[in-house]
Amino acid sequence: MLDIKPILSALRRSKAGAVLLFLQVALTTAIVSNAAFMINDNLTYLNEDTGYPQQEIFSFTVMTFGKDIDLSQQAEVDEAMIRNIPGVINASLSQAVPLSGGGSSTSVRLKPLPQPSKEARLAYFYGDENALETFGVKLIAGRNFRPEEVMITDNFHDNGPNTIIISNMLAESLFDEGTGLGESIRVNGRALEVIGIVDVMESAWPRAEDSGTTGIIPFINAQNYQHFLVRTEANERATIMKLIEEKMLQAYNKRVIINVDGLDESKDSYDATDVLMMRMLMVLVVILVLVTALGIFGLTQFNISKRTKQIGTRRALGARKSAIVRYFLVENAIVCAVGLVLGSVAAIFLGRALMQTYSIDALEIQYVVVTALFMLAVSLLAVVVPAVRAANISPSIATRSI
Amino acid sequence: MLLHYIDLSWRSIRNTPVISFLMVFAIAIGIGITMTSLSVYHMMSMDPIPHKSGKIHYPQLQIMDEGSEWHSSDNMPSQLTYRDATNLYNADIDVLSTPSFRSGFSVHLNSIDVKPRMEPARLVNKEFFDIFERTFIYGQAWTRDDQKNRPYVVVLSKEINDRFFNGENSVGKEIFLDNKSYRIVGVTQDWEHHVKYYDLNNGSFNSPESLYIPFAIAPLEEIGSWGNINGWKQQVMRGYQDLLSSESVWTQFWVQLNTEKEKEAYGQFLMAYMEDQKEQGRFQRDQLQYGLRNVNEWMEYNEVVSEDNRILVALSFMFLMVCVANILGLLLAKFLKRAPEVGVRRALGASKRHIFLQHIVEVSVIGIAGGMLGIIIAQLGLWGIRTTNGYYADLATMDWSMLLAAPVISLLASFIAGLYPAWLVCKTQPAIYLKSQ
Repeated sequence: MLDIKPILSALRRSKAGAVLLFLQVALTTAIVSNAAFMINDNLTYLNEDTGYPQQEIFSFTVMTFGKDIDLSQQAEVDEAMIRNIPGVINASLSQAVPLSGGGSSTSVRLKPLPQPSKEARLAYFYGDENALETFGVKLIAGRNFRPEEVMITDNFHDNGPNTIIISNMLAESLFDEGTGLGESIRVNGRALEVIGIVDVMESAWPRAEDSGTTGIIPFINAQNYQHFLVRTEANERATIMKLIEEKMLQAYNKRVIINVDGLDESKDSYDATDVLMMRMLMVLVVILVLVTALGIFGLTQFNISKRTKQIGTRRALGARKSAIVRYFLVENAIVCAVGLVLGSVAAIFLGRALMQTYSIDALEIQYVVVTALFMLAVSLLAVVVPAVRAANISPSIATRSI
Repeated sequence: MLLHYIDLSWRSIRNTPVISFLMVFAIAIGIGITMTSLSVYHMMSMDPIPHKSGKIHYPQLQIMDEGSEWHSSDNMPSQLTYRDATNLYNADIDVLSTPSFRSGFSVHLNSIDVKPRMEPARLVNKEFFDIFERTFIYGQAWTRDDQKNRPYVVVLSKEINDRFFNGENSVGKEIFLDNKSYRIVGVTQDWEHHVKYYDLNNGSFNSPESLYIPFAIAPLEEIGSWGNINGWKQQVMRGYQDLLSSESVWTQFWVQLNTEKEKEAYGQFLMAYMEDQKEQGRFQRDQLQYGLRNVNEWMEYNEVVSEDNRILVALSFMFLMVCVANILGLLLAKFLKRAPEVGVRRALGASKRHIFLQHIVEVSVIGIAGGMLGIIIAQLGLWGIRTTNGYYADLATMDWSMLLAAPVISLLASFIAGLYPAWLVCKTQPAIYLKSQ
């Protein structure tokens, strides 16, 4: 019915063309499925919720060189000044900027050393009672810090804070579900009581595996190199970012204001290499598919031009146009199917090799299947035009030059 | 004969413009993509200081007590403690060495006319300038005596000298870093590098610092590092003095060892130093261990070239293979169509070798044309990378070796594609084609 037998014997006669087609399809399948997997992996990460209203927040860095002020007091004055700017929702001093790639982390456990205990990674932000609103993260249990709980000191170990607000993910990794509030956890040798749990709150390294286990510690130890976070109305942010340097220098001028960046910009520059990699992979995939499609197109065209006479003869002997089109479609499908099977196997091997050499997740099988089906569709599409042209070969050609 | 073949291939290409264009284009796309990723890779992995990279070494010490683990491949910290760095520098051994770390200051002239600016600075000893061959426009490095007795001296980069002093000779003048005044002793050329190989701790592709001040300033002004400070031991840290005497690592160290012999001697010195410290109660472990890697080994150890990049290079070469397969198909079609013509030539006395050569030359012409067009496509790709990602601005360029590599790879690819079709066509039996004429 599908003329499989004559197709196979015809293929046996022109092996080179078939082998080439099959090689291309196999390689393309292997590359595209792996690249698609990596692209999707990246996209999932880029679209993840970080917990922050990134469009409303910006950060800047203060480098103070004057020695005639108390830095922590000045920070309080600055915060109050910034909060009075129209359009500002809240502002907070912090030792690190979320999503920026630079921050602090430590390990956290339930019991003091050396007792055995559950442990987790804690990426932390120092801040006062304004931090929660400034970060814009959602409190799902407990409460915010009270002003008297915020410790302003340079000695964390001896008279540091006694409370902490943690992210839900940290709570889940340390405690049973639904508990944790009121429990105490050990951070850098101090016992801190969990007084609040927030929903998603990413660390300064959103790309890292454990970037969701975060916390805010009510501790202010202003340094001469210090970050401020400011949350504004989304449409006011650009204006406020422009005048923040002037306002800060008006308040005190023996310092330098740098890195005035929106939080989304900070994240963008942290992600820049990933985005670049993803774009390059996308370009590679698109061009690769185009090149392969063109290759299939060219080879079929070549096959047809070689077989013009045979096609004419078949038509003269009564074959319908649809039979000719079907012949080429089936021929192509057979070669592609072999290529796709081999390509899928190669893709899985390639994925495994990449996973072993590099820290990449295992290739999921559905990517290979979808890519294979997609390639089959592309190859059939590439064949349709030459096949229809072949079907239009007039029977008279067969009889003309013999 | 070669000229004749080139002429023949030109005619052949002109006769089949579409198929020839497709072939050139396929090679060009393949080369373009491959060269784009290869260029970035090349720039990242290139030897940054070829004539000296084998001499400059980075020592590492296994400072941890038995049982502690470090997150590196060989379990050794990648920096030194402040204590070890100063001890190694002050040791009585005749080599050029320098501790080094990155920090930053607000720089101003103590006048209201020029606004203070935040500038990154490097704290080093005078040997740094010799080891890394920094050339001076004005003045020179500070002396050992300065370093010891009058450490408030600074070496500026050209860029900052241009900004604050309009490019004039500023040696002897004063400049303020934070609230302290420093005497300018020299102005160096700006440091242009693709990989910041002398400080892989702060981002391998970061920009160079614009100021250099003596390492001895650190304890005087309590200057914190802008790099990583890593600890492995539970220790009380109450202030800067605790950091200086702590077991936390935050200082880098470079030493120039000109010969294998010097390297061996320095290794023995490091071992002796560790033995000595062990007696004083540090390094409590059975097996003392040190590392002494040269610049290239150090870059490898720190994985300057990211995994993503290697993957991309591998994928783009596979992509080139697909293009080669494509061209192979097209060449097959083209050459076999010409079989009757070849039959006639064979009958007229051309040997198989001649036919083969003629077709290989034609393939080469296509390959070279594809390589040239490929370079243009690669430049477009690199331009795309530069504009979308500032971090890669210095890396996404092609140097001479890459510009030469492009046509070579392209030629190789076209040979691979052309061998089988050329061989097939030179096997043509004259008789068959003469019959049907």
